[in-house]
Amino acid sequence: MSESEIVLKVERLEKSYWGHLRLRRHRVLRGLDLGVARGEIFGLLGQNGAGKTTTIKIILGLVFPDAGSVRLFGRRNTVVSVRERIGFLPENPYFYEYLTGREFLDYMGRLFGYSEYERKRRIGSILERVGMSGRSDVQLRKFSKGMLQRIGLAQALINDPDLVILDEPMSGLDPIGRREFRDIILSLKERGKTVFLSSHILSDAEALCDRVGIVKDGVVSAEGRLEDLLRPTVRSWEVTFSGPRPADLGGAEILAVRGTETLARVTTEADLARLLEGVRAEGCRLIAVVPRRDTLEDLYLKEVGGP
Amino acid sequence: MKLWAIAINTFREAIRDRILYLILAFALIMIGAGRAVSLLTVGSEEKIIKDMGLAAISLFGVATAIFVGVGLVFKEIEKRTIQTLTAKPIRRSEFVLGKYLGLALVLFVNLSIMTLAFYGLLWLKGYLDVTLGKAIALIFVELLLVTAIAIFFSSFSSPLLSSLFSVTLYLIGHLSWGLPLMADRLESPAGRWICHALFRVLPNLEYLNIKGRVVHRLPVSGEDMVLAAVYGLGYTLVVLMLAVGIFRKRDFL
Amino acid sequence: MIRRLLIALAFVAAAAATAGAEGRLHALRSSQPAGSQLLYLPSGKYLRAMAPGFREVMADVLYLWSIQYYADYRPDERSRFLEHVYAGVITELDPHYQDPYIVGALIMAVEAGDVEMGLRLLDKGIAANPNAWLLMFEAGFYCYDTLQDYARAARYFERAMMVPGVHPLVRRLHAEMYNLMGDRRASWRYWLEIYNTAEGDYVRSVAYRHVHDLKIQVDLESLTSAVKAYAGRFGRFPADLGALVEARILSSVPHDPEGNPYVYNRNNGQARSAAKPLLRQRQL
Repeated sequence: MSESEIVLKVERLEKSYWGHLRLRRHRVLRGLDLGVARGEIFGLLGQNGAGKTTTIKIILGLVFPDAGSVRLFGRRNTVVSVRERIGFLPENPYFYEYLTGREFLDYMGRLFGYSEYERKRRIGSILERVGMSGRSDVQLRKFSKGMLQRIGLAQALINDPDLVILDEPMSGLDPIGRREFRDIILSLKERGKTVFLSSHILSDAEALCDRVGIVKDGVVSAEGRLEDLLRPTVRSWEVTFSGPRPADLGGAEILAVRGTETLARVTTEADLARLLEGVRAEGCRLIAVVPRRDTLEDLYLKEVGGP
Repeated sequence: MKLWAIAINTFREAIRDRILYLILAFALIMIGAGRAVSLLTVGSEEKIIKDMGLAAISLFGVATAIFVGVGLVFKEIEKRTIQTLTAKPIRRSEFVLGKYLGLALVLFVNLSIMTLAFYGLLWLKGYLDVTLGKAIALIFVELLLVTAIAIFFSSFSSPLLSSLFSVTLYLIGHLSWGLPLMADRLESPAGRWICHALFRVLPNLEYLNIKGRVVHRLPVSGEDMVLAAVYGLGYTLVVLMLAVGIFRKRDFL
Repeated sequence: MIRRLLIALAFVAAAAATAGAEGRLHALRSSQPAGSQLLYLPSGKYLRAMAPGFREVMADVLYLWSIQYYADYRPDERSRFLEHVYAGVITELDPHYQDPYIVGALIMAVEAGDVEMGLRLLDKGIAANPNAWLLMFEAGFYCYDTLQDYARAARYFERAMMVPGVHPLVRRLHAEMYNLMGDRRASWRYWLEIYNTAEGDYVRSVAYRHVHDLKIQVDLESLTSAVKAYAGRFGRFPADLGALVEARILSSVPHDPEGNPYVYNRNNGQARSAAKPLLRQRQL
């Protein structure tokens, strides 16, 4: 990663919280590092309480770290003007109940110092993008969760930010909504924007992110490109066929049987060849051969520690 | 400008807060009650209506300042709208001052409504005396100061404690004249010094209280009014700056 | 960096302006005594309506303030509102609180020099508290001590005496008032009552002294007037006191409390007592 391209750089973040009456000290972040380059989609993953939310809050300037630094576009994150280039969608967003969607976006627009004309223009186009054009003249308290999420995204994008920070962007969305959000995020990348998101939903992260970081015990225990982190080699094949089972299965493991269909797994190329040969010999119908690589879930569970 | 945008938003939000109307209703009732109470006895109706009217404006203004003020900052933090705001290019100081300005606007409107009702009643009964406005002007300054105090406390403590502290400081502010009296009764010079020091340093809200003088048509010099206003506004500025200072350094967990 | 400096400057300026204004205000307002705006309280009747349930506390607070306020003696304008504060406000708020009557009257009588105002206040208190013998005593005492209006004082003491639990001193003062008025017969009668109903040696001995001396005076008075009557009728003084009885002017010849006859001088018609008065002749 070339230095000049780094949009977000977090170095050696430390943060502790004090329990009741300053008796107990709970160290949340213990020297967390991460970096996000321009134009990529970065996913921050981790269990609840691992320090994800704290990290995001520190990046945004809501919380002050005990040690370490955060630089946005090469400048300290506490500099106010830096925030003209970022947009943020919090988890479970809550906005001013008695404002309509449009009034709310207008308020946000004012905070950027846009003129009335500029605000109108931006609001119009952003509502279009998030699919809320016709529905934003109602008070926010009447919005469904999905609508709130969209308005939230709208306010995050209203200033056409270079870095978009999303905290659990897909939560509460129905499948269509999630698809639309995914498309919006991908389109951001196409336009050269950088996206930093945190999520629980590994499949989303896997589908969207270029790079991920897994937070465990207050540090990033694994970080890098997905391809690098996940072994590129195929770990196993899952073969589905119907018909009588071949006598010699070799190293194949039967995973499931449904009616005449059998799902078996083999872990080596040799076993695969043997199984396929057996299937053909028996005259079975080969339905599917699916190579399985490391999933993000596998990596995640490894890093975070399963049950 | 951004400060103004925050102020307008705060104003709009406060307008929607029901407690505002409750307090206003009580105030108007109390202003009218002056008329009813005076029915209970003979003579001095004019004084009673004026006294109760001014007391209502003052008391309910303070109630609005404290309870609505404390609620406003708290709501933003609790409802986490503050998270959205922090990501915008505004300073924390702009946020606090914007909220203060919005609340000051609310108080101004509140005060105006109460004053209109008050003047209306007085005019109907033929007791209208516009010099009462002098007292109301200083009441407004007092409200500005009390609001600043409420915002100061709510920048670091819970709404319950903030309300409590604010009300306490308000009462102290009106009773601080007792401190010099107490000092005379104390034996130790250290104790006496503390009493006198506290008297000078604590906000002396009685300087802003000219209700008695105005109702009795006693003279209030221009110098007096200007000094009182400078005192009130200066103290307000100091408190606001302290509030901003605290607000800037805190974590929003 | 410059911003920070400007902000610090603004802070210092605001603080300085505030302190400056405060200093000037302090000087201005100090010319009026602390809490003087409380003088402009509406009548207690109105205050009662405004503080239901807290009347008594209000009375307490105002009373305490009034003590502080009037404690530093400064005549002139403080007496202007004296009656309003005590009669019009505090005692209206809590008519049964006795201290304000007593202390208020004290301030009125002594500091402001207006005893009648104090008596008015005490009368108000007595009207509201028929069993407050202390208020009656105080009133009687002002009449006796300051006004030297013994008859009026006696009337107050008499009222006080009717209250059960009254301090016995009041009865003695009552008796003495008649003496001071010059009605020694009545005084003697009252003192005799006290003597007869005395519950302790001290009171009895005090009463005895009064009865003793008063009897002498009463006897001498009646002897003097009897001698005058005799002289008027017969043109000369009687030869002895027995002659007064013969002439049917007196029914019997009185003896002094020690049982001895009075000494009579037939030349000038003067009677006097051989017994010495028990009480010191003090200037009452």
